[in-house]
This record gives sequence, C-alpha cells and structure tokens, in this order.
Amino acid sequence: MLFQWGMRRQKKQMNDGVQQEGDDHSGEVADVPQEPMSAELAVNIDIIRRATGESDDVVIRRFSLGQEKQMKAAVVFVDGLVDEKNVYEFLLTPLLTASFPLALEEKERLQWIEQKLAAVGGVKHVADWKLLFCELFSGATVMMIDGTSFAICASTKGGQYRSIEEPQTQIAVRGPREGFTESLRTNTAMIRRRIKNPNLWLETMQIGTVTQTDVAIMYVKGIANDEIIEEVKKRLRRIDIDGVLESGYIEQLIEDQTFTPFPTTYHTERPDIVAANLLEGRVAIFVEGTPFVLVAPALFIQFFQAVEDYYARFDIATALRFLRVLIFFISLVAPAAYIAGTMFHQEMIPTLLVIAIAAQREAVPFPAFVEALIMEVTFEILREAGIRLPRAVGQAVSIVGALVIGQAAVEAGLVSSAMVIVVSITAIASFATPSFAIAISARLIRFALMFLAAMFGFYGIMMGLLVMTIHLCSLRSFGVPYMSPLAPFMPSNMGDTLFRLPTWMFRERPRLISQKNIVRQSGDQKPQQPTPSRQGKGDES
Amino acid sequence: MESSKINVRQLFVLIVLFEHGSAVVIPLGVSAKQDVWISILLSLAIGLLLFFVYRRLFEYYPDQPLTAYLPQIVGAPLGKLLAIVYITYFLYIAARVLRDFGELLLTFAYPETPLFVLNAIMAVTVMYGVYKGIEVLARTGELFLIVLYFLAIIGFVLVFVSGIVDVTQLQPMLEEGWRRVWKTVFTETLYVPFGEMIVFTMLFPYINTPTKVGRAGVVGMVLSGINLALIMAINVAILGPDTVSRSSFPLLDTIRRVQVADFLERLDVFFMITLITGGFFKISIFFYAGIVGAANLFGISSYRRLVYPLGLLILILSVVIASNYAEHIQEGLKIVTFYLHVPLQVIIPVLLLIIAAIRRRFNQPAK
Repeated sequence: MLFQWGMRRQKKQMNDGVQQEGDDHSGEVADVPQEPMSAELAVNIDIIRRATGESDDVVIRRFSLGQEKQMKAAVVFVDGLVDEKNVYEFLLTPLLTASFPLALEEKERLQWIEQKLAAVGGVKHVADWKLLFCELFSGATVMMIDGTSFAICASTKGGQYRSIEEPQTQIAVRGPREGFTESLRTNTAMIRRRIKNPNLWLETMQIGTVTQTDVAIMYVKGIANDEIIEEVKKRLRRIDIDGVLESGYIEQLIEDQTFTPFPTTYHTERPDIVAANLLEGRVAIFVEGTPFVLVAPALFIQFFQAVEDYYARFDIATALRFLRVLIFFISLVAPAAYIAGTMFHQEMIPTLLVIAIAAQREAVPFPAFVEALIMEVTFEILREAGIRLPRAVGQAVSIVGALVIGQAAVEAGLVSSAMVIVVSITAIASFATPSFAIAISARLIRFALMFLAAMFGFYGIMMGLLVMTIHLCSLRSFGVPYMSPLAPFMPSNMGDTLFRLPTWMFRERPRLISQKNIVRQSGDQKPQQPTPSRQGKGDES
Repeated sequence: MESSKINVRQLFVLIVLFEHGSAVVIPLGVSAKQDVWISILLSLAIGLLLFFVYRRLFEYYPDQPLTAYLPQIVGAPLGKLLAIVYITYFLYIAARVLRDFGELLLTFAYPETPLFVLNAIMAVTVMYGVYKGIEVLARTGELFLIVLYFLAIIGFVLVFVSGIVDVTQLQPMLEEGWRRVWKTVFTETLYVPFGEMIVFTMLFPYINTPTKVGRAGVVGMVLSGINLALIMAINVAILGPDTVSRSSFPLLDTIRRVQVADFLERLDVFFMITLITGGFFKISIFFYAGIVGAANLFGISSYRRLVYPLGLLILILSVVIASNYAEHIQEGLKIVTFYLHVPLQVIIPVLLLIIAAIRRRFNQPAK
C-alpha cells in the first residue's frame, strides 16, 4: 500500500498542474486530468501521451483536414481494439478527400465532420478526459481538431475475439451448439436473437475502478420481479473493487451469504439456458471478458436440471432428474457409508457381503476411515492434475491413475478392492452431476461426512445431512428461499422440480421469482387425437 | 418476538412431525396390549378436545404466545409465575426427549459411546436449527416429511410383502373390557403425544393466516393419530402383544423382522432416520417454545441470545436428569405424567379458558 502510495505521489509530480482526486484506490481512472480539454491540438495530444505513459499501442496519427490541408487534426485509437480497416476507409478517407470549407464556426465545423462520418456508426462528442479515455479503451477512435475544445469519438470497435464455439462445460446431446464468448456484445446479441421482444431490457454499467469492466444486466420487463431487479442493481452498484476479470468476482460480491458451500447464483455458458431463465423471470448478469453469464436468483433444484430436460420427452427427463438426485446423494455419502458400515454397523450389511468385505480387508493395515481418506485424497489429486495438465501429459496421468490407484494399491494390500469400487462410484457420480458448481460443494461436504461417519457411524452421517438440510433451508438467493418450491412447498410449481411434467402443463412461472406475471401459456394445449368421427369414417371405407 | 411467519401447511407439517416425534419409536400405550390402537384413537379424540381448548385461548389472544397472555388472564404475579412454570416445563420436556433419544441410540447402536457425546451432537444440531428460526425449521420439516413418508411407504410395502403380518395377534379385541383401554388413555397416550400440543400455543402467533390454525391442527393430529395407531397395530400384529409390551423399541423389532428376497433385510437405517428426524423436531419445537417464552417474558430483544446458554442447559439436564434409563422411564410414567402433564396440559388450560371466557363475558357489556 505504501509502495503504491509512493508511486502515486511520483505520478502526481509528473503530471504537475494536473488536478487529481484523492481517493483510496490507486491507479483509478480518476487519475486522468480533470481539467477541460484544451483548444490546442498539441496540448491535448501531449496530455494523452503522458496519461497513457506513451504506450506503443496507443496510435496517434496527425493529419490535415480536407484537400486544402489547412486544419490540423489527429486521430487516436488503440491498436488491436479497433477495426483498422474501418478507421482508414470510413473515417480518415472521407475527411482527407473532402473539400473543407474554411469559413465555418466551431459548431458548424463539427457538424460538417459528423456528416462526413455518416459511414461510421455511433459518433459522440466528448469534452471530458475521463469519458474520452473510457471510449478510447473500449475501442473507439478519438478525433481531435486544432482549435476545438472537444473531441469526436467514433465507434470503430473491432479486433480479435474468440469466435462462437460449442460450450465446453455444459454439453447437450440435443440443443443449440453455440456458447457464449468473451465479447459482451456478442453474448447479449445471442439472447436478443432468441427473445425478439422490446421488453427484453438491458442495462450496462462499468464496474472496477481500474478495469472499468462492462457489466450488463438483462431481464424481461413485465415478467421479472421488480424487487429482484432493484436488488440486483443495488448490489451491483455497491461493488467498489479495483478489477472484475470474471463473473466469479461479481458472483462473490453480490451473493446473499458467503459462508456456505452451496452456490446461490447460477452460471452458464449456454444462451438457451439464459433465455429460458429470463422467461422464468430471472435476471442475467453479463460480464465483459468471460463466457460465463450469471443468472439470479438461483434455486437448489436448478442445479439438478439440465437444459436437455426441456428438449427431451417428459418421462425420460423426469427419470433422469431422479437419477441426478441419486447421483448427488451417492457422491455425498458413498465413502462415508462405507466407513460407517465397516466400522460401526456390520449388522446392517447382509452377512455374505460383510464376510466378503472382511476377507478383503484382512490384509489392509489401516482402519476403514484412513483407507477411505487415502483413496479419496489420491483421487482428488489425480483429478486436480487431470484438469490442469497439458494434454500431452494427460495420458500418463490416466495410466498411473488406473494402474497405481486401481490394481497396484489393492495388490499391495494398501486398500481393499471394495474401497476402490466405492471411490470410483463416488468419482463417477460427482462427474455426472450436471452442474459443476454443486458437484464441487458435494466434494467438500463428503469429507466432513467421512469424519462424522468415522466418529459416529450412521448417526454422524444423519446428523451431518440434517445440519446440511437446515443450512440449505436457511439460504436465500436474492430473497427467494433456496429450497423453494420444495420448502416452502408450492404445489403449483412442483411440475418443474424433480418432476418434469409435459410441456403443455407448464402453465405457471415459478411463483417466488416472477410474482406478477405468473401465467406463461394457455391451458388447453394438450395434443389431441384426431376427432373420432373422421377415424370412424376411415374404418368404414 | 421473531417477526417471521410460517404458513398453514408448514404448521401442519410441524404438527405431524412433532406428534410422530418420539411416539413412533417408543412403546406407546403398550399397557393396553393388543388394544393399543383403540386407546391411541380414543386419546386422539380427547386430545382433539384439548386442542380446541388451546385454539380457543389463541382466538381470545391472537398474536400472543401462551406465556404472554397468562398474566392477562390470571393477573400479573400468578400469571408470570405460571409462565415461568410453563417455560421450565417446555425446557424440561426438551431435555427429557433428548435423554430418550440418546438412550435409544445407546441401546440400539452405540453401546460403547458415552451418552453425553450422543446427546451433545443432537443438542448442537437442535441449537443450530433453532438459531436459524422457526421458518427454517418449518422448511426443513417440509423436506423431511417427504423423506419420512417415502420411507414409511417402502417400509409398509416390505413389511406386508415379507408376510410376517398376523392379524390374529390383534385378537381378542377388548379382552379385559374397556377398563384397561381407558386406563392406558388417561395414564399414558392422552398426554404423550396428543396433550403435548400445548407447546404449539407458543407457535400459533407465527402463523400468517390465524383463522386456519384450527384446521391445520385437527388435520395434523388426526393424520398423526391414525398413523400411530396403524403403526402400533402392525407392531402388535407382527410381534404379538406380549413381545410388544416388553420391547423397548417395538418399531425396531418389527423392522428387523423384515426379510425380502434374501437381501432386503436389516433395515435398521430406516429406523434410525425416523428416530433422528422425529427426535430432532420434537426437541427443537419444545426448545424453541421454551426460549421464545423466556425471551418474551424477560423482555430479551432477540431469543437468539438464549439459544446457546439454554441449549447447554438442556444438554446437561438431559444427562443428569436420571442416573439410568430405568429411573428415567419410571420418572416419565409416574411423576411427570401426574405432576406435570395432567396439570399443565389439562387442568390449567381448561381453567384458563373458563376464566378467560368469564372475563370476556363480563367485559363485553362494558364496552
């Protein structure tokens, strides 16, 4: 802190005469000159140079306006952020080739320029340095003219972005293949394309005193609950942080409760999920620079619903949802149940099985808890290695994992083969959970349950689960109870929880989320058989 | 007072869980032998009458818990004294249920673990739940009721599929006439669990639609009464009246008899889940009523400040209350029933209602 403060002092001396605002945050945009823009081009260019530390990628190009070459001007843009072809073709060429009437007033001169720039979208007058830099670094080209005390910012956004690809984290067999990218505008456009309605409202704000990251919230006016929208905005406005590099920053600053292993906002890479959530009355938060879009409020049950549930037939989707809850449960308690069963409750296991396990465990030198802990920790290490390893090394890890953890550990008598099965099923179960965010919570709680099981057997597991349930029931996401519509129980919303009723039965939106506009479709959409009279005729003929 | 509100459905859920609480696992009313189910149903009928007394009191003093309107009915000094008696009673029963629960666990699964440790874990969980408030307890209850019903249905199916139910064990009906049945009703089953509904007089003010309190209570009690009667009848039908009356946990013995397809056996986990969830809600509700009453009576701004000290109190009380299980049971059947349950569940509420009704009658013309 002291170091940063020293740096600022130095900077202040460098920009002497330039007013600075005293604030706690070093390197804020407030460090730019506060004085109005000068009428002299040279002074302005000098200020830009100094403010940007003469960075090489800030391109300043001086030129003379019109064929007469009488009026000095300059364009400033950041290399890589703008579409250079646009700058030269539509911005510079018209101004250089046109004939520039000299006898114009300052205002008229600008109007003339603006007319010439008709081919470029989004032309703005800027007289404030802070705004100017903001525009400059979001990809605008700034144009300054000698004798004019403000600049013209023309939108020339461009540069390289990752193109739209299939989402990496949420893969669906059936469903759209496109996923969000790092560009906020591309992302919002994908939603616009899905919901073609003027009621789809978008609000953008800059968060991050240094990074000035664009954060946009999107909702469907009239469906979303106004209180929740207000709450989201209030929480976003409260954020005062130097930088926002991913939506995770925002998520952690706006969630209702920090001290919980469960996620209280949903994040996704898929535009179809965001669109569906907007239609249910939720609010989406887009952050520039990340393909992960936040959706709030989030409910616990949401993390067990995959997007395909709505595209597949309802009976299959329902069965899969039950499977997922089972999976979550297995990934929570499987090792703990093994520990409890072998250490405390042998009488609860069928006799043949308990003998088989006991025979395997005979050679194992550790108590079941240590055995389980070794295996679980080893597995967690393997997984962590698998995620971050370069592809080329990945194969080596999987071989080591399969051989060492599986066969060799059993043959060496370190662990029993029953334990290997338990760990594998737990691992597969935690991969099968549709949302990574909830799978990772289960990973954490699993270890706590293992400790409880080692101390108190099934009683410990039950108490652990009871405390977990109480905790889940006490959570809220933007004021909405996290466990709704299961607790508080809402029969009218049960159709889309563990069950997924046929689509024509989804008459209502989630009650607590969209409070005023509940009905989503008409009630008589059940697919009908052809009328019997026609069928009858067919039989007769 | 906590400002949060629960809805009628949640009240119903809490009542069902509370009534099942420990009653489903302990030998409830077994002194009536094979007529146990009759005595439970009779107790339910009389219990409903008691419940109407409690509800009537609440109608006279809506928005107030029992401990707050006691002084208004019988005057400040006596009323406050009675309020303290009730608060102590709730906390004492919480400690008693905690002891019951610990002893059950001890005898059935953890003979080597100290009672204090088993009770401590439960007490910590109860304290956590109560600290979170009545809304959270009610929501947790909604989830667990689904789980319990699911287990109960599976249990019933397995019990019947395994072919161990022998209905003739329930005969002869009324072998020794009505006398034995009525004796069981008035010495045991009326007070536990039905008379214990007195604790809900502390929770009624939290209901967001006070007019529907009666309906939730009646439906909840009837459902619980029928369930309990059914479960005890099945216990008798499987184990026989003599075994049931000697068993410490008839439900556990019943579940242990289940054997289906050579591998579905030893469903002790079912029993454990029932025991733990039931015990948790019963202790939590008594404990919550006790501390809310205390906070209200002594003008403490937030009941949450009492959770920790009084939680420790019931934990220690649950261990020192009796030197062994036999003593604990004896106290429960002889002393607690006649010196605590009868006056606090029946006599005082009825007297209160009479006084309140008279007061109302004499005050009304003055208005």
